[in-house]
Amino acid sequence: MGRLINTLRARMIAVVLATHAALVPLLYLGVSTIVQEGYIELFVNPIRSYSRLVADELENASAADFDHHAAELLDSVLLSGQVQFAQIVDGPRTLQGTVATAPFPDNRSDDFRFGDQGDSVYLISHTVKRPGGSVVLRLGFDEGPTLQRVQTAKRRVLAAMLIFTAVSIAVSIWLSAMISRPMRRLREAAQRIARGDVQARIQVHSSISEVQELNHHLEHMRHELVGSNERLMTEMGERAASEAKRLDLERRLLHRERIATIGTLAGGVAHEFNNIMTPILLYSQAALREQTADSRLARDLTRIVAAAQRARNLVQGILTFSREMDAKRAEVFSVRPTIEEALDLLRAIVPANIDISFQAAGWRELRVFGDPSLLHQVVINLCTNSYQAMRPNAGRLWLTLGSVEEAPDGSAANEAGYVLLEVSDTGHGMEPQVLEHIFDPFFTTRDVGEGTGLGLSVVHGIVTSMGGTIAVDSTVGVGTRVRICLPAAQQAVSRGVVDGMHSGG
Amino acid sequence: MECGVLLSIRRLIWVIFFGLLTVNAGAGSRTLVLVVRADSKLVDLDSLAVRKLFLGLPVLVNGSPLHPVRNRSDADLDPIFLQEIVAMSQSAYDRQTLIGVNRQGWLRPTEATSVGELLNQLYADPNAVSFMWLTDVAHNPKVRVIRVLWGD
Repeated sequence: MGRLINTLRARMIAVVLATHAALVPLLYLGVSTIVQEGYIELFVNPIRSYSRLVADELENASAADFDHHAAELLDSVLLSGQVQFAQIVDGPRTLQGTVATAPFPDNRSDDFRFGDQGDSVYLISHTVKRPGGSVVLRLGFDEGPTLQRVQTAKRRVLAAMLIFTAVSIAVSIWLSAMISRPMRRLREAAQRIARGDVQARIQVHSSISEVQELNHHLEHMRHELVGSNERLMTEMGERAASEAKRLDLERRLLHRERIATIGTLAGGVAHEFNNIMTPILLYSQAALREQTADSRLARDLTRIVAAAQRARNLVQGILTFSREMDAKRAEVFSVRPTIEEALDLLRAIVPANIDISFQAAGWRELRVFGDPSLLHQVVINLCTNSYQAMRPNAGRLWLTLGSVEEAPDGSAANEAGYVLLEVSDTGHGMEPQVLEHIFDPFFTTRDVGEGTGLGLSVVHGIVTSMGGTIAVDSTVGVGTRVRICLPAAQQAVSRGVVDGMHSGG
Repeated sequence: MECGVLLSIRRLIWVIFFGLLTVNAGAGSRTLVLVVRADSKLVDLDSLAVRKLFLGLPVLVNGSPLHPVRNRSDADLDPIFLQEIVAMSQSAYDRQTLIGVNRQGWLRPTEATSVGELLNQLYADPNAVSFMWLTDVAHNPKVRVIRVLWGD
């Protein structure tokens, strides 16, 4: 109820009602008085003049036949229709006209104001001088018609005032609706904005300039809000992307550190193991040379030498993983021939139901710096893993070679760009927890005796030693894709620079 | 000689008449009379001349203009003046006098707000004409009644 009273419409109507309640009665009284005075003026002024004229006529009447003239004059006055009563008082004698009238009111004094004595008669007396003395002319005028006109006029004024009040209230209702309707729409728009719905454009049509300005400002505010929201969303998206990138980098850094730690440890062990294996191998070979080929000892020594060779190869793999490779063979070489050479070798050993394809993008010769045999080994290892993942079913193995301007991991830019080698297969794929450990030395999902678990570790070591990066995407049941990104090499690279760049480990 | 006798008889009749009116006034009725200074040459004025005089029109008697003085010493006199002397409403009287002053160059009647002031004006001007209650002038030898204007 209170809310209803406090509305603009209710207040406007209340103000109009209060104003009319205060002013309309005063206005009515004022107008009624003016109208009444006008009618009275129209009544009084003519009858005073008229009665004076009659008195003058009587005064000028001949004395010879005064009574006859007086009677005629009174009849004439009564027949004029304006006079209700007429008589001439001449001492004790009273003269009347011959026209019948209502009895003259007795002991009636003169009226000097309209409606003086409340009997609807306005009585005027004039003392008329006659040669033989004075007579008094008394005329009574009917106030009734004028009273009736005054009452009718007052009623009309009252009706006009009531109509005026009703029209004013209707206009105030219409005006308040004109103002409150757009205000209500603006309020609803503001509420929508408060709820977060800032997309709908605010368009409130009104001829009131204040409402138009309010609409304009509100729309401007909404527009600013939309812009702020968009900026905020963009910033939030950028922050989320940045955070994801940071987490990825952190994860990769941790992984790299872990691999590096393992590599250092494995490299140390491999060195010591190599030192142990070298005399075993040398003395076994020396002892073997002193024995005849078909002796039992020679067969045993041959087995020792073979085992020592396998151990040495294993140690070489570990050293490769830990980047303890020999940098003396590093050079700038073309990638494509190396890959094609490795694929030729692979086609001989890969089952026929595995489709192998290679595609090199562009015409430009792509070169990298490193040991070509190591890249050869990378391709062999990756393709071997791929076709083993597809066994015994048929499948597809494809390699693509291209170049990119920036490294996928966002590492420092290389002026010559990067060479991107992708090895993809339609094998069984790997689960995320397996992907976490694929570069760990001796980590394998194969049965015992089927692999050493050094294949991807060696690949990782080679790629890292060439200054590149390696990333693996895999989906169980779909396949795996390995992306190797190597810094492209300029044509002429000095040996000193080469040694300095990739001889660490 | 004959005229002088007739004039004396006429004056006697007036005195008797006014005496009777005075008696009536003493009994409670009021009479409004037109008055001039006692030695004024003005003998009589008809109602039309009185009306002209108090509307501001020039009225000459023996070549001299009369000077109307409106008596406003009593509030009851105003409506009687308007009804019996000028025979019009207040607004019509105001309008007529204003028109006369502005268009014709007539003079508005001077006004006296007390009986004393009125009498002083009458004493001072032999051409001054005014109206008074008969009771106010009945025993005043310096003032002469020339006409009965209204009686209650």
